[in-house]
Order: sequence, then structure tokens, then C-alpha cells
Amino acid sequence: MALPDREKAERFVAYLEPIQHQLAVYCSRALNRADETADVLQSAVATAFRDFDKYSEGTNFRAWMFRYVTLETLNRNRAAMRLPSELDEQQLSAPRTLDITSFRLETLLDDPDAVLDHCDEVVAESISQLTDQECRILLLRAVGDFKYREIAEIMDIPIGTVMGLLSRARTQLRSKLLDYARQHGLLSKGDSA
Amino acid sequence: MNCQETRRYWDLFYDSEGDAELHFQLNEHLDNCVECAEWFDKQSRLESLIEQRLGVAASVELAPQVNWSSVLTGAGVTPAAKSRSWLFFSSSILALAASLLLIVGMYGLPFGDESPSLSYLSAEVHQHVSAGSLRPEFESRSDIEVDQYLLNKVSFPVRCPPRKDSGFAVAGAGLCELSQQPAAYVVGTVDQRPVSIFVLSKDSLDAFPKQRAELQRMQLTTCREGDTEMVLSIVDRNLVLVAGNVDSAKLTRVLKSYGTYPHTL
Repeated sequence: MALPDREKAERFVAYLEPIQHQLAVYCSRALNRADETADVLQSAVATAFRDFDKYSEGTNFRAWMFRYVTLETLNRNRAAMRLPSELDEQQLSAPRTLDITSFRLETLLDDPDAVLDHCDEVVAESISQLTDQECRILLLRAVGDFKYREIAEIMDIPIGTVMGLLSRARTQLRSKLLDYARQHGLLSKGDSA
Repeated sequence: MNCQETRRYWDLFYDSEGDAELHFQLNEHLDNCVECAEWFDKQSRLESLIEQRLGVAASVELAPQVNWSSVLTGAGVTPAAKSRSWLFFSSSILALAASLLLIVGMYGLPFGDESPSLSYLSAEVHQHVSAGSLRPEFESRSDIEVDQYLLNKVSFPVRCPPRKDSGFAVAGAGLCELSQQPAAYVVGTVDQRPVSIFVLSKDSLDAFPKQRAELQRMQLTTCREGDTEMVLSIVDRNLVLVAGNVDSAKLTRVLKSYGTYPHTL
């Protein structure tokens, strides 16, 4: 039975309030144009609120809501001419675990603060260079703190794909950071690899 | 499981994924291999710092663009609790307020008749520390060094909670004033998420009537400011508040372990 409007709104806001910050950060990071964050959130919230009667009490509201925001950001990016990211064979066969040893990260690992203190924009830029799916998976994990299974449900993809693409995204992000650190002399021990 | 196999599963270990048997085998190896334990620790620290920059650190730059009150209105959702609309303030205002609060705290200016809540002030400081906009005066991952640093800095005993019991990995400590009450804070992580422990003298409770009233009813109280969970209790001569972006049960674990050793200072 549908809830009265007032009660529905109160319950929806009560559920939404604790995750607003996470949604805003996730949405902004996932969008090609961060200045569209509020607009995209409004669209996602409107759709979710419309469907709130279908939400099953006691299930994971956070994942349910992130799904709407994920779809909305995807639509917005596609509309903004960002190339849609479809899984290809190469992605599906991506390694399941992070091949950290493929980078000479020792110096970065020894003193990550020295690099990351200078890399906020690099991190943001690197995220934007990932494919849509990699970007979303990384953000759902890092910002949304979702489990692999939840990410798979939100993205509607197999859990193995989540693992592979998350590993790939992390590797690429580290690679970008390392490149930036080398170029700007932030690696104190002269890593020249 | 050898070193190579163990390291291949770092991401599953870090994300707390995989089955219990895998984690048992990984932990077994890590307990007996210093090199891999150190390697895991470094990987996890780097990833945690990256995640912080993707998440918490983005708050200051993002929030001015998102007025949740407008979002909800525009989406056709009637805000349910108008009396709490202050929660929807943009974070630029929050950041400014936090800065002012810190400055006011530092210089001891009066707040006026209505004292801000301890939870609000603590959450602000925690968010700034988490975002890197406020660095602790002393940074160390050693419980002993942090204990030593805080020794005699304030008139009440402050110590790190035992890591084994609490899951709290210390990263540093500092001093601040919350509503003109001297406070020490210890920062670190639980499950790679930033957590701050604020310690004040028990006498400071008089400056926070709301919390005083709550603690008269309950030994331990929980609350939330934005996405910061907090638990608060009196431990010996201290008022201890643990704030973090993790489940309140984990914060409670830190708080309870805080009182598991005798204060001999």
C-alpha cells in the first residue's frame, strides 16, 4: 500500500540524510562536469523518491539509492558525449588481483604523504581518465565503502568483473600518481624506473 | 601459502573480501613473515590515503555545489524535519564555521550564551583532520611515542587505546580547545578509516549541558553529525569522545578499550 505523501517524504529523508555527503562526493567524482552535481542528484533523488514505494523496508537503502545516482551520472556523462564504456574481452579477462609489483612503488609506499599531499588534483584527474565502469567501481568502493557483491548489484555486472576492474583502476591510479611524483621530483630516493 | 601468493591477495585482504579460510591463511602467513606484513601495511596505507582524498578530502570543494535543501525541494520531496535544516548547510559554511571555532578556541573568545554542542565541535575538528586541512601537531604511528608526547601536555591523563583490543591504529595527536575547554585529540584509523579520539577533563562537561544531561541518563551515548558517527562516555577522570566515519559499534569498541588499562599518571 502506498504511503501518505508526508509520511513517505519523512521516511525518505530520514533514510537519505545519513548518506547525503557520500552521495555528493561520489556523484561529483563520477561526473565529467562536477558543477552538475546538484542537478544530477536532484534528478536521481526525484526518481528514487517516485519509486520509494517499491523500496523494501529492511533492505539496503544505501545501495538502492546509489544505484539511482549511478544511473543518473552515467546518463549525464553519456549525454555529455563521453564515450560509453562497454566491457570488452580484454576487460573481462583482467587479472583478479592487483599486480602491484609491476610498478616500482617502493619509494611512493615508503612516504605516500610526501606525494599525496601534492596530488589532490592528480587523483581527481586520474579518476576522470578511467573508463566509466572502472571509475564507478573505484568510487563505490572508496567513497561508498560498498562490498564487491553490493557493487555488482548496483552496477548490474558479475562480481568477478567488479574485482577485475577495481584491480585495474587501482593500478592505473597508482601509475598516474607515480608518474606525477617522478615528473615533479616528489620521490626523495631517486626512483628512476 | 608463500609470499607471492599472499601478496596476490592483498586487495581481497584490504577490502575484507574473500572467504574466512583465505583470511585465515593470509593472517597465518602475515603473523610469521615480517616482510609481507610490512608490505601489506604499506599498500594499505597508500590505498587508504588515496581513498581519503577521493572521499573525505573532497568535501570542502564539493559542498558549496550541493544545497541538499534545494535538491530535496527540487526533487519534489518535502523536507521532513525543518527544525534540523541546519544539517543542510553547505560545507563551505561549515568549514568557515569550523575555522572560526578553532580560532575562537585558540584565542579563548566567548561564544555567547548558547554553547555549541561537543559533538558538533568534535565532528568539525575530526573532519578537518581527516581532510588534511588540520594536521596533528605530533605525527607518529607509535602508541608509546604518542603517549609520551601527550604526557604533561594537559592536566588530565591521555593515552592511546590498546591497538589489539580496539583495532585503532594511531597516526598522531594534538591539542585543541573545544568551547574554551582544553582537549587533547588522538587521530588514527580503524579499518583504514579515519577516527579521532577527543579527551577532555571530566570537569569540562559543565560547558556542554546537552552532553552532561545525556550522560546522566546513560553511561555511553551515541550521536551523528553529517556522516561522522560519535560515541561519548566518561572514563575515569576523562570525558572521552570517539568520532569517525565508521560504524558506531567499532567506535564503541575503541571507547571501551580506552578504559581497559589503569591510569597511573
